[in-house]
Amino acid sequence: MDAVLLEQVCKSFGEVRAVDGLSVRVPAASIYGFLGPNGAGKTTTIRMIMNIIRPDSGRIAIFGDGANTGDRDRIGYMPEERGLYRKMTVSKVLGYFGAIKGMSKGRIAEKAPQWLERVGLGGWAGKKVEDLSRGMHQKLQFAVTVVNEPDLLVLDEPFSGLDPVNLDLLKEIILEMRDEGRTVIFSTHVMHEAERLCDFILLINKGRAVLDGGLDEIRSRQKGHAVSIEAEGDTGFIAALPMVAGVKREGRRLEIALSEGGDTQELLKALVGRVRIRAFEMKVPSLHEIFVKLVGADNAQDP
Amino acid sequence: MHRTLKIAEREYLETVRTKTFIFGILMAPIIVVAIIFFTGRMVKEKEGPRPPVKAAMTDLSGELAEEIKAAFEAYNKSHPQRQIDLQQVESDQAGLEQAAAEQKEKLRNRKLDVYFVVDKEVISGEGKVHFYMCGTKAATFDAPFTIENLLNNAVVNRRCKLRDLSPQLLAELRRRVPTEHIEVGLAGDKEQVQSQHRKVAQMMVPFFFMYLMFLGIFLAGQHMLTSIIEEKSSRVVEVLLSAVTPFELMAGKIAGLVGIGLTVISLWAVAAYGTARWKGLSVEVGAELMVYFVVYYILGFAFFSAIMAGIGSVCNTLKETQSLMMPISLIFVLPMISWFNLANHPDGTYARILSFVPPLTPMVMMLRLSASSHVWVVEVIASIVVLAAAVVGVMWCAAKVFRTGILMYGKRPAMREVLRWLKQS
Repeated sequence: MDAVLLEQVCKSFGEVRAVDGLSVRVPAASIYGFLGPNGAGKTTTIRMIMNIIRPDSGRIAIFGDGANTGDRDRIGYMPEERGLYRKMTVSKVLGYFGAIKGMSKGRIAEKAPQWLERVGLGGWAGKKVEDLSRGMHQKLQFAVTVVNEPDLLVLDEPFSGLDPVNLDLLKEIILEMRDEGRTVIFSTHVMHEAERLCDFILLINKGRAVLDGGLDEIRSRQKGHAVSIEAEGDTGFIAALPMVAGVKREGRRLEIALSEGGDTQELLKALVGRVRIRAFEMKVPSLHEIFVKLVGADNAQDP
Repeated sequence: MHRTLKIAEREYLETVRTKTFIFGILMAPIIVVAIIFFTGRMVKEKEGPRPPVKAAMTDLSGELAEEIKAAFEAYNKSHPQRQIDLQQVESDQAGLEQAAAEQKEKLRNRKLDVYFVVDKEVISGEGKVHFYMCGTKAATFDAPFTIENLLNNAVVNRRCKLRDLSPQLLAELRRRVPTEHIEVGLAGDKEQVQSQHRKVAQMMVPFFFMYLMFLGIFLAGQHMLTSIIEEKSSRVVEVLLSAVTPFELMAGKIAGLVGIGLTVISLWAVAAYGTARWKGLSVEVGAELMVYFVVYYILGFAFFSAIMAGIGSVCNTLKETQSLMMPISLIFVLPMISWFNLANHPDGTYARILSFVPPLTPMVMMLRLSASSHVWVVEVIASIVVLAAAVVGVMWCAAKVFRTGILMYGKRPAMREVLRWLKQS
């Protein structure tokens, strides 16, 4: 069963079409990354999934429930704009959000300290939220999101503002939750994070899906016809080979673009014997490259 | 329902803990006590010793001077702390202008407080007494009235003497009839003699109820506004909305703050009742009035706070809310400035009309119910029904504005924009 299903969802704000006919299927027990430049419509899409704003048209189903009144208690949501009650204590904030998500008192008493411990705020339970540092605030926000151990986790830009240690902690928890059979959707514009975590990605630009599918599938589909080699000897002849479209020299490495129908193995055969090959690598495009290629370099906000 | 209650509980507990709440709950009684204390002090001060009032008189009738002096002497004897020094300035009609000019100069130099001229034909009733003063000072403010009374007595005495009536006889004729005011109370056994204080207290009860209603609604409404603005500016609201619907959130807040309002009002009412009893004033309030109060308060606050929720959701700072709060505060001034009229004519057309203007219904109805026992039950029920209908309507609108506005940051949306939200399904 799909955890989340979007069918031809549209949403406009005044004249601006924020989301334009978006369709996505998020399978259960997967990590789905929503990627895209700033203003692409990621947050709007996520808010519609959370039923915070309603789509103008289209259908959204959570856990197969078409009316989208689905059990909110099974969803954990961390919005892009973080916020908690500043005057309340850490444990009270956690308890309150647990309670409005339908947790019993007993379960809160059991789970809240566990999660505080897990995110490294064990010693801060009695402190006020306003006394926390930014990073700690961020971690508490995450604890608030997961305290009821939801089946679907929706995280809007979860990695912004975290130091490397906490970043790894967060990723570890996300992977753990997937392995427990929970579904995680997160948005980001940091491509290498998505690359390491996601099972599936959705690339959005200007409210439309540019790319959607499994990460491996996307990579092979977008495979650039290029090889990178390192060789000793006279490499001047390579450019003249029939399967080569172009050669670019980068220090000791050569970036060789193959012509249409050119085979990497043919190239390798042509090279062997004429030069001494130290490295031969088929280039797999990174998400960043795919992103830049599809969205346009001027649209990319983050390296 | 469960979520709404949780939100209400948090709203209540967190509001109770804030400094503004504690300050607000203490301030109102402290101010009232301070006003009572200082007015009491001022009354005492007024009755305390003060420098003698310097008065001068010119008697053109030629036959009243003795009578007047006697009246002043008698007054000075019975009021040792409020002496009036009287000097006679001899003059006839011809020299009056000059004598008066001299006295006026003295008035201007503050050597004299009052100068009065008794006309020739005063006894026959055709002449006047002319008072001259220079500026009005608080200390001598009531002096002319006292002197007027003394002059009247002197003239009447003189008239009696001219008709051969003895002053003793006159004093006997003038004796006032003693009176007694009895309050029969709501039950037969509570009949008791009413003191002046009690009468005033009884008269103030309607105002007290109306004011309590006003403060309760307004203060809790302020908490609503700050609470929403806080949630909006700290961005908690989006997390909340992922767990609860906007309507649940709004309803929870209103429920929590109704609790706050009732807590505050009960504390104040108990304090006021306790003070009244301590001061020996027993003010009777019917039990049904309490029930009405709670019903009207809940409905009135729901109405007001729904408006506050709407306003709070479209603004980003408390400052921005002020311009929107203005017209609403002005509506509430209406019954406040006309309370005396309303209390005296609780069944008048004006009172009846105001009773059906939703935000004012609770205040005006409490005023009327506590001022009169003739308000029709039908009218009470009708006003509750109209108010309840208005509450449903305003909540429906507020929920729509709230739903959209609460997630909007930056520029405050224009009125036209907000109306568009209302039209959206």
